[in-house]
Amino acid sequence: MLKSVFKTTAASALVALAGLAATASPSLADGKMTVAIALDPGSWDPIDTFLVAWGAVGSNIFDGLTYRDENAKLGPGLATSWDVLDDGKRIRFSLREGVTFHDGEPFNADAVKYTFDRLLGDEGAKGPQRANYTSIESVEVIDENTVDFHLTAPDPVLLTKLAGYGAMIVPPKYLEENGDEYFNTHPVGTGPFKFVSYNPKVDLDLEANPDYWGGAPKLSELQYRFIAESATAVAELQAGRVDLMEDLPISMIPVVEGDSKLEVLSTTGPTVYGLRYNTRDGITKDANVRKALTMAVDRATIISSLLGGEASEIASFQSALSFGDDPDLKPLPYDPEGAKKLLEEAGVAPGAEVQIDIRAGNSTMNEVAQAIAAYLQVVGIKATVKPYESSVFLNDIVPQGKTGAMFQQSWGGWTLDYDNTAYLLYHTGEKWNPYGNDTTLDAMLEEQRPMTDVAEREKKLQAIAGYIADQALEMPLYALNSIYGINKRVEGFVPAPDNRIKLNNVSIAE
Amino acid sequence: MAGFIIKRLLQAIFATLAVTLLVSFAIRLTGDPALMLTQGAGSITEADLERIREALGVNRPFFVQYFEFLKGMVTFDFGRSFLGGTPVSRLIATALPATLALAFWSMLISVVISIPLGIKAATSRGRFADQIIRVLSLVGLSFPNFWLAIMLVLVFGITWNLLPPSGMSDWTSYIMPSVTMGVILTAVNVRLVRTTMLETLNSQYIMVARAKGLSETRVLYKHALRNCAIPLVTYLGLQFGGLLGGIVVVERVFNWPGMGTLAFDAVSARDYPVLQATIMVLSLMIIAVNLLVDIAYGLIDPRIRTE
Repeated sequence: MLKSVFKTTAASALVALAGLAATASPSLADGKMTVAIALDPGSWDPIDTFLVAWGAVGSNIFDGLTYRDENAKLGPGLATSWDVLDDGKRIRFSLREGVTFHDGEPFNADAVKYTFDRLLGDEGAKGPQRANYTSIESVEVIDENTVDFHLTAPDPVLLTKLAGYGAMIVPPKYLEENGDEYFNTHPVGTGPFKFVSYNPKVDLDLEANPDYWGGAPKLSELQYRFIAESATAVAELQAGRVDLMEDLPISMIPVVEGDSKLEVLSTTGPTVYGLRYNTRDGITKDANVRKALTMAVDRATIISSLLGGEASEIASFQSALSFGDDPDLKPLPYDPEGAKKLLEEAGVAPGAEVQIDIRAGNSTMNEVAQAIAAYLQVVGIKATVKPYESSVFLNDIVPQGKTGAMFQQSWGGWTLDYDNTAYLLYHTGEKWNPYGNDTTLDAMLEEQRPMTDVAEREKKLQAIAGYIADQALEMPLYALNSIYGINKRVEGFVPAPDNRIKLNNVSIAE
Repeated sequence: MAGFIIKRLLQAIFATLAVTLLVSFAIRLTGDPALMLTQGAGSITEADLERIREALGVNRPFFVQYFEFLKGMVTFDFGRSFLGGTPVSRLIATALPATLALAFWSMLISVVISIPLGIKAATSRGRFADQIIRVLSLVGLSFPNFWLAIMLVLVFGITWNLLPPSGMSDWTSYIMPSVTMGVILTAVNVRLVRTTMLETLNSQYIMVARAKGLSETRVLYKHALRNCAIPLVTYLGLQFGGLLGGIVVVERVFNWPGMGTLAFDAVSARDYPVLQATIMVLSLMIIAVNLLVDIAYGLIDPRIRTE
């Protein structure tokens, strides 16, 4: 190791002497795009991680059986069509023909079976992805281009899950020959870009897959750089060494907007924020008090001032893109006078105290919580904000029901289906439901799951959202936009609401 | 000397054990890596978490895990990162040279600037040059290093677009992070050189040297500087430890792929194997530098050798 230290140091000294004539900023080759990613997931195996950062990269290397486009619309991916059979307990997929993996291996029914056997077997058990696919009992090869998925129970969200993350199709022969460990750092898929090289914690290089079934990408090279500090990523963007960055902090929007070479793009994001109530004890046990507290807070002003307008109001715990969202359901209006009246009727004396528990480390949420506390003060409620370290908050405080009267909940909702949120947040006994035990709600949640009639199920989900709003189980706050900083020379980039940065139709102007 | 080195080595081993034990224990109190790994996943049950804990090996008793780590230390196999499974030794093998190169250049910048400036301040004590140098050093000391880093990036990285704002690539990428670290060190070292130089210049043998008609440069750089070297080397050794600590901030701002970045990410992800190994390597290095400093005494000052 010492040797390589000397080598690095000596090399940099030599380059320093010899390279005075060299240009300082490297010029970007035609058709090469560089994307800043906040975190290196450490493994490119689809079953190893749950990071949004993985999705931004992995979606360009791998494909799933289904495909969700930039508008979050679900369509054919590696499967060209599917039939839901046996009351939702079997799904038959017809697979795309003539597709090969980057190493030349053919994509077929065996590859699909191998992928899911691996995900549901020992290898998958070590990672976080398996839990999302446990409704799959087995995958049966019917012929070269047809597979049947046998399910333990109908799973309405499965098709959308198949579009990403753990369900990405992997090459059996390559994996068998090289092993999982090698695959982690040398991924092979069927996607628009092929793996070239990977420096852990530094960067990942990809090149165009000219044989991509969806058409050859317009970029010849694609580089991802891992930059943890968003201020640093913005600096790189301004210096022209990064073309695109995700998660641009709201506070840095003016910097990017102020640079004539750059622009800010934003779209409805998958993440929603709210404050949930302790419905078991204290003043928030009473639904009318919960409604009053919700009415006391001017969420529209919080969005326009604190969030720079980069969010939209929600009436239930989902964004407008989520399956199950009801556009007719309106959030409780901002009405401090009405709130005071409700509180008085409920017998809550002025000066009553509530504690708002939040996750520390997110300055935006901290400001929002302070603003909420101030609004509550106006209606005579004394609110204190208590931040907890993330891990303590998620592991101990919320699941154990040790929160104050109100606590922060933010939810990714990557499947864009309300079931995946509502069931886990409101069904009795679920980890994220420390206080509720409502048999009516449980029954409603259970009832929609096996429904194969899409329209019918949507109605049911909307009814659930309505019921929850009526019970005022939470103070819905907002769906936060996904905000990107981008160099104007990038053409054709459409930000997707699921944060997966798809770049096969993007090009770089001269 | 051999006995002394062996004694110091034993002390070093004990210190490393104590540090790693403390760090390994402390990080396990801060959170569950299985939970951190599955943060984005909605539908995770306790059974899933338990399975992941088993796969990571964190469900075993603490001392079993710590013993595994010690076993790995001997064979230089620190296991795999929880985040993706990259072998920890591979991560360290790339991060350590990056950090050492940064530390080397920062120390070099600071020594090259602070010695002549410190001597100049000492020889012109109380006069204009001394005042200026002292004020500058005070200014340098008062900078928070992340602020200096951000200013450098703004001016040289963005406004003038002369240097890459972040990352480790060609030699130009070394300039801003090394200068950031170097400036802080320089400010301290200038004062140190000035003070020790003043003491030395008042001693009799300097008067003798001057009386013999030696040139002032020779007096300063050959005779006086050598006698200033002991406190300087001691201090630079200590400074190296502090430098490795301060490097976390500078590495993060400049996205430098070194040990600081590695440790920072490991803490956020509760990546025990990476954090344990990073802390161990850093403490070993600090211990090793202190050992080298002790040995260097003997080389600089023959009187110490015979003691």
